[in-house]
Formats: sequence, structure tokens, C-alpha cells
Amino acid sequence: MLWIIIFLELGTFGLGLVGLAYYGTLTPALFHDARLHLNTLLGTINTLVLLISGYTMASAVEAFRSGSNTKAKGLMKITLIGGALFLALKSYEYYEKLGSGLEMWDNMFYTFYWLLTGFHLVHVVVGMVILAYMSFKINAVKSPTDALDLESGAAFWHMCDLIWLLLFPSLYLIF
Amino acid sequence: MKNTQQVTLFILIGLTLLTAGAANLFADKTAFLPLIIMGIAAIKFLLVAFQFMELKKAHRFWKILTTVVGVSLAFLIGILA
Repeated sequence: MLWIIIFLELGTFGLGLVGLAYYGTLTPALFHDARLHLNTLLGTINTLVLLISGYTMASAVEAFRSGSNTKAKGLMKITLIGGALFLALKSYEYYEKLGSGLEMWDNMFYTFYWLLTGFHLVHVVVGMVILAYMSFKINAVKSPTDALDLESGAAFWHMCDLIWLLLFPSLYLIF
Repeated sequence: MKNTQQVTLFILIGLTLLTAGAANLFADKTAFLPLIIMGIAAIKFLLVAFQFMELKKAHRFWKILTTVVGVSLAFLIGILA
């Protein structure tokens, strides 16, 4: 079931990205100029943050399987800090864009930018809520988190990584 | 296992820095750059899916589907851009 959800999400973002690339072929100069207004450094840092949090989440699953719940909980907290850092940097980037008057209806590039990154941000927030809940329940006596729960939560978090790995170059680098 | 994931993380970080640097340095010099950047993005996509997401332990159907979806999306975007 989880894999089906993951593929539906990938398909939805995939269509959005193909749409972005298609409109980019129609107005290449506009897309190039708009892309130059994006902060590549912030985008790169956010990519690194998500990759590192993906690694810590994978390590948390491994620690949980080997029976080290405390270590798993600690690693999940680091993952959540990564998620919070991603949100903070993204919020700063949005603040910067809005301050420069670069809003959703400015042009087609920014329509895609706000829709795709905004939709992705919602997924990161949902992923953080799932991970926070699991981290809270990991040592619970009643209905504790089991390995399948944790693997599913981790898979959702990695899906956010996967989507960003296609979003980042499409929006920040190639036009 | 732990070591493999650490190596994967370092490769992912290296590829991210490489693409970000290349996009800024060679943006106007080569027409193939978008395709190269999206090719590297596809490699990163597969590394995260197989190493972190543990797709390597999933059924063959999901392995093939993920590979086809990730690579085709990256290729299509790279070609169009």
C-alpha cells in the first residue's frame, strides 16, 4: 500500500516537473532569467540537509532493528532537526522571494516554483509529524512502534528526499 | 551496512556539490549540461531509493518500476530543458 502511495506522489510531482520543462522550452529566456533569481546556495544547502537527514533516518531504522531503541530515538530527533532546518531555510527563501515581489502569478516559472516547492514543503511537514509521533511512541508500553511502522515512516521521509532530488536541479540548475 | 550507507552519503554530497558548481560555472557553455545534471540527479535518486529507502529488499516489481520512473523522468526533463 505504501509503495502505491509513494508512486502516486512521484507520478504527481513527475507530471508537474515535465510540465515545467515543457513550458521552459516555450519561453527559454524567461525561464533562464527567472531561474537566476533563485538562491542556488540555499537550494544546495537544503539538498544536503535532506540527504543527511535521510541517512540519519536510515540509521535509525537499522538501530531499531538491532534493538537499540534509545539510539534510534536519538537519530530520529536528528532527522527531525534536519527537517526543521529545511523548513527554516525554505521559509527564509520564500520571505526573500516575496520581498522581491516574485509571486506565484508573476510568470509560468514562478507558478511552477511556488506550487512544486510548496507541495513538497507540505510533505516534509507531514513526514515530520509522522516521525515525531513514532519517536514519541518508540518506548511506549502500550501500542509501541513496531519495525513495520518505523520502516513505513522512514519510506515516507525518503520519498520527500526523492522528490526533492528531482525538484532541486529542475528548478535551480538547468534553465 | 552502516559503512555502505556512509559511503553512499558521501557520494550523494559530492554529486550535489558537483552539479551545483557545474550549473553555475558552465551554464552558457554547453547544451548538454541539463542532460548531464539530470543524469546525475537520476543516479542520486537511485542511490537514495536503493540504499536509504532499502528498495534493494523490496519485490523486483518495485525495483524495476522505481528505476524506470526515476530515470525516465530525469531523462525527459533533461531533454526538454
